[in-house]
Amino acid sequence: MFDLRKFLVQLLLTPVGRPTRVAGRLLLGLLLAAGAPVLAAPTPVTLAAAQRQRPQALPPDRSTTLPPRRANAARLRELAAQREFRYVEPAASTDAWDAFWARVWHWLGGLMSTPASRVAWKYGIYAAVLGVLVYAVLKLLQVDITGVFGRSGRRSPLAYNTAAENIHEVDFPTRIAEAEAAGNFRLATRLGYLEVLKRLTDRGLINWQPDKTNHAYLAELAPGVLADSFRSATREFEYVWYGELRLNAALYQQARTNQRAVVATLAGSRPAPLAPVASPNTLPA
Amino acid sequence: MENENTFQPAENQVAAPAAAVEPGFAPRTDFARLTAQTAEIRAEIGKIIVGQADLLELLLTAVLADGHVLLEGVPGVAKTLMAKLLARTLEVPFSRIQFTPDMMPSDVLGTSVFRQNTGEFEFRRGPIFASVVLIDEINRAPAKTQSALFEVMEERTVTQDGTTYAMTEPFLVLATQNPIEQEGTYRLPEAQLDRFLFKLHVGYPTLAEEVQILTGHHGGQGSTNLEAVQPILSAADLAQLRQQVRQQRVEANILEYIAKLVGQTRAHKALYLGASPRASLALLNGAKALAALRGRDFVTPEDVQFLAPSVLRHRIMLTPEREMEGGTPDEVVKQIIQSVEVPR
Repeated sequence: MFDLRKFLVQLLLTPVGRPTRVAGRLLLGLLLAAGAPVLAAPTPVTLAAAQRQRPQALPPDRSTTLPPRRANAARLRELAAQREFRYVEPAASTDAWDAFWARVWHWLGGLMSTPASRVAWKYGIYAAVLGVLVYAVLKLLQVDITGVFGRSGRRSPLAYNTAAENIHEVDFPTRIAEAEAAGNFRLATRLGYLEVLKRLTDRGLINWQPDKTNHAYLAELAPGVLADSFRSATREFEYVWYGELRLNAALYQQARTNQRAVVATLAGSRPAPLAPVASPNTLPA
Repeated sequence: MENENTFQPAENQVAAPAAAVEPGFAPRTDFARLTAQTAEIRAEIGKIIVGQADLLELLLTAVLADGHVLLEGVPGVAKTLMAKLLARTLEVPFSRIQFTPDMMPSDVLGTSVFRQNTGEFEFRRGPIFASVVLIDEINRAPAKTQSALFEVMEERTVTQDGTTYAMTEPFLVLATQNPIEQEGTYRLPEAQLDRFLFKLHVGYPTLAEEVQILTGHHGGQGSTNLEAVQPILSAADLAQLRQQVRQQRVEANILEYIAKLVGQTRAHKALYLGASPRASLALLNGAKALAALRGRDFVTPEDVQFLAPSVLRHRIMLTPEREMEGGTPDEVVKQIIQSVEVPR
């Protein structure tokens, strides 16, 4: 029988030239790779011999009889009475409030267990997600939808500080006359100027807003006689009111004349002559 | 006349004792010199800078109100040039500090040097010791160096090694910063921002102004020859003008109006931090100076409204939510102005 291993050993040990040895080792490698499974597998002869050498199993011992072990019933009862060996939690004592909620949850659980409620629950989640998305979009777009529900829309972050007086509710002729009679020319000039603003607003020539300055109103008027009159009236009002100019009767008459000129221009007529005003001994601050 | 006998004067309308009647509807203060000198300054700066009239008016307001100015704008809009030109029109010592990330407080304030020949320390004054100090790119220095400016900007003194050195009058800090660039910059501390009277935005020129800039440059006239700008105001002149400004009339309702505007910044939902009482004072001083510049000896709500954004925008902090929504301090200031009734 051809012995492959002997052949390979002889091939390796044979003194030959270097090229031949290298070629031989390459051949050896190829052969080993190809024949490895064959070399590694045990031969049938070896297996049969191993089976023959396995020891035979012993027969069971039937000569000895052992008594079955029985648990001590008293000991079992003792252990069962201990808390550590209770595997079912006893129902906690519930008061009326807990009982109420237990009933509620039980009722809800019953509702949720029906096929119809499962469907409702499923679509309820979808509706909630949709609602959250819509809310987020509206919030991002800063849309105020409170008016949809019949309420007035939200106010701006800061509400207006309410005016001390609404120019549309003031009886100007009366109050101006009162101020003149009291010698309070400063107040009279102010009331006269507010009356001018009211009339300009009533005619739609300016847009009255509490935050606007006098010059903002002036800018709203088209250039012309009216704007020039209003400019003069504004300048005088500012000197009197903001500049704390002390007025005598002559200066007051000058201021009132310009205010009346604005009113007259609005009415399309010449200003009516002013009644003489006596100069008071005391002047308002 | 109706109800002549029923009139009751308003509570604040108390008759004053007899006093001399004033000379009609004309300024009771002579602003001729102030008007002429500020017009000269505008003309001198106008030799180099095209446009920016509002910015120049606000800068002059700050000079008259004795306040520091922070100029903010993108590169190339003549922030530094405007500050340098304004400094040139004032005949006072000028220094320029270029803030850098490695700058130390001693580079600004000065430092004590040991003199071997005398065996003593001698304080060497830093560049802050001038009347007009231009701090270029102020946000490039770290907070440590920024903090060195706190005392000198507010108290006009520098304390080193236990000795306090007073600054000479006038003392004006003009600082510039670029709002866009974030690399290598540091946000100014709130305490320092509060020390600036105004934060002014330097915007782009209009199309016509830009054409004028190009035309001047192309013709060789637009070179930044600072020597062409002549000094107009001496320190003594400026002190006199400031004295006039301090004497401006401010009616009680205007004071209340200023307090209301500033107070609203502390209650606004969009603001994390409102303005301090120093802001109220800044608004008052600025309004007085602006009124003088406009030839009036009294302050009007117009003056207050005009200055409110410049005074308040750097003194308030938006809430993170508002900031994420893209809000700006100027928008909030505008809302606040719209929410407070003008005294009339």
